Amino acid sequence: MAAQTARTSRCRPAIFKGVHKNGSFTFLGRYRVIDFPISNLSNSGIINLQVYIASKPRSLAAHIGTGRHYNINSKRGRVQLLFPTEERVNTIYNTNIQALYENLEYIKRQSQEYVVIAPSCMVFKQDYDALLQDHAKSGADITALYHMVHHARGGYETCHIFDIADGKVNAIRRNLGDEDVRAISMESFVMKKSLLIKLIHDARAISSMFNLSDVINAKIGDLDVRAVEHTGYFGPITSLKSYYTANMQLLNPAKAAELFTPDWPIYTRTNDSCPSQFYDSAEVKNSLISNGGEIRGTIIDSIVGRGVTVGKGAVIKGCYIAAYTTIGDNVHLENQVVDKYVTINHENEIIAGEGELGYVKYMDHL
Amino acid sequence: MKQIEMLAMILAGGRGSRLLDLTNHVAVDVVGVLTQYESVLLNSYVAKGGLWGLDTKDSGVFVLTPREKADAGLDVYRGTADAISQNIDFIDTYDPEYLLVLSGDHIYKMNYDKMLDYHKEQGAAATIAVMPVSIEEASRFGIMITDENNRITDFEEKPKHPRSTLASMGIYIFDWKKLREILVKDMVDPESAHDFGKTIIPTMMNNGEKLVAFKFEGYWKDVGTIDSLWEANMDLLDENCDLNLDDSTWKIYTEDVAALPAYIGPNASIDRAYITQGTSVDGTVKNSVIFTGAKVGTGAKVIDSVLMPGVCVGDGAVVTRALVADDVKIGAGAVVGSADSKNITLQASDI
Repeated sequence: MAAQTARTSRCRPAIFKGVHKNGSFTFLGRYRVIDFPISNLSNSGIINLQVYIASKPRSLAAHIGTGRHYNINSKRGRVQLLFPTEERVNTIYNTNIQALYENLEYIKRQSQEYVVIAPSCMVFKQDYDALLQDHAKSGADITALYHMVHHARGGYETCHIFDIADGKVNAIRRNLGDEDVRAISMESFVMKKSLLIKLIHDARAISSMFNLSDVINAKIGDLDVRAVEHTGYFGPITSLKSYYTANMQLLNPAKAAELFTPDWPIYTRTNDSCPSQFYDSAEVKNSLISNGGEIRGTIIDSIVGRGVTVGKGAVIKGCYIAAYTTIGDNVHLENQVVDKYVTINHENEIIAGEGELGYVKYMDHL
Repeated sequence: MKQIEMLAMILAGGRGSRLLDLTNHVAVDVVGVLTQYESVLLNSYVAKGGLWGLDTKDSGVFVLTPREKADAGLDVYRGTADAISQNIDFIDTYDPEYLLVLSGDHIYKMNYDKMLDYHKEQGAAATIAVMPVSIEEASRFGIMITDENNRITDFEEKPKHPRSTLASMGIYIFDWKKLREILVKDMVDPESAHDFGKTIIPTMMNNGEKLVAFKFEGYWKDVGTIDSLWEANMDLLDENCDLNLDDSTWKIYTEDVAALPAYIGPNASIDRAYITQGTSVDGTVKNSVIFTGAKVGTGAKVIDSVLMPGVCVGDGAVVTRALVADDVKIGAGAVVGSADSKNITLQASDI
């Protein structure tokens, strides 16, 4: 079997009120969500990648670059960044089928027989090579990855679910939150490239609003779609709340050990920041602290990005503080997601109650 | 090959010596690293030019070990100058105008471009970076005696009664053509120590060449001993320390490790510490520096110490005034070092 081309499809839901929606948002202090699918593919030996970027490409293009830091061989491998070429007159046309269609020539030009499709907004660990080998052996048309959850009623908004019988997917539907136990689609598919091209054309013949999952569902009677269950940590990011939860779950070392294992490194772009400095007034418990920080205050049950300054007397509890943010002296934050380059000096209390969550905008001054 | 203006050679030194930083490369695109020992380890670390931004078409980092040559049975570097002499062929391929000679055991931040400007401005044959030290410290260094124009008139190696307090930092810029001539003669001189301080600089002085001192201000530390390496790490904990590693305009590059941010556990107590990514702390860390991948178990205490990469301090263990070497495992409840020891304890094996 030849090398394969993989594609990370775009993330559909608008997160953080439309600020980030293409996998470029930060995760666990030092990563971007896109690091997880690219590392998974690279670790799986899949080194011909196409990354479809829906909008605001600057930050993702700068982060992904040549892909060398993802261990992608610069001669035999390639990370191709692909952008929309047609103007979106209506957001309803913002589908992954449309993105693939606009770059169809680049898909056809690849020599690989199979494609792996991976999502850019779900955090998990997966050996795609194992999936590919099993797919080829099984004789199925499509292999689709899912994760069983037991609380689909209270979350997983906008996710797809699979109806599965005898290991086959019978239907792909939206999660309406009407049942607790659901097989959540991980938006990861393996199929022949020829089938993908056919599905792109099929989708366009039915509806311009179709995504890949929609067309697979529409054609499911003609297709043998095999379901494969994923186990271990699964963090789909579909809303601010799920983003927060996906991060906070990883404060549990046992949970983090499911995602981060020595044999499966998660790569990211280094920014050569120095270690974090903890001063004598610092008090830190159950938190992840990225490099380049200056910590003088109290941090509990929180995740802190690179280059964050936390002033004396400040108290940060249950927060996600993204990179290069400054939290002034005596500022008290609870249950907040604070975006990058924020400065909080004038307000000294931003507290969301138990089970609530607040969001502080990118580059904001408070 | 395109001619380059200045080529840098770093003397990474002898056994056990480790290159701890490669400073920014404003003036330099090609770096040769000279070493006799541990070249595999050094090579795997240093020679990835991309880590240092030395990965453009005409730049690179090369680890240069002694090589057997057809007409000479030389298989060791006989001195600091000999390390350069034996690589004249390498240097000649770049045809540099100037040669920058550095040591791998020093911690400092310097813009070599400014030193080169000074060298050119003075029309010197050699420029030596110096820094003022106290008169007590002066006997530990090579001391430069200068006139009012910073021209070096004399120099003394570790003098008992220093006549000046300008210590050589082991950083030299030479006119390559002049240095090359001297090195070629020095190579075949059986009496020579083949050393920059002992032979090359005195020869240049005797030849009447112009040698000038370039005054450096700021943090500089030789970390060639365990105590000084420990001290340099402790300096980082001092808020008023001159060495600012958190400067986005002058970053200190290092290897890029795939690691989580530092995890500080529910039982941790942190009081003045410098902690990097990939670490996990669930005990007490006080006045200490924790390197990548090191772990401090629940109830363990790490005080006034440096844990190098991958060190594991077991639950309840106590480490005081120690430098713990890479990947050493300290068992649960073990005790390393003591608060009143004169020297720093080097823990280089599992306990």
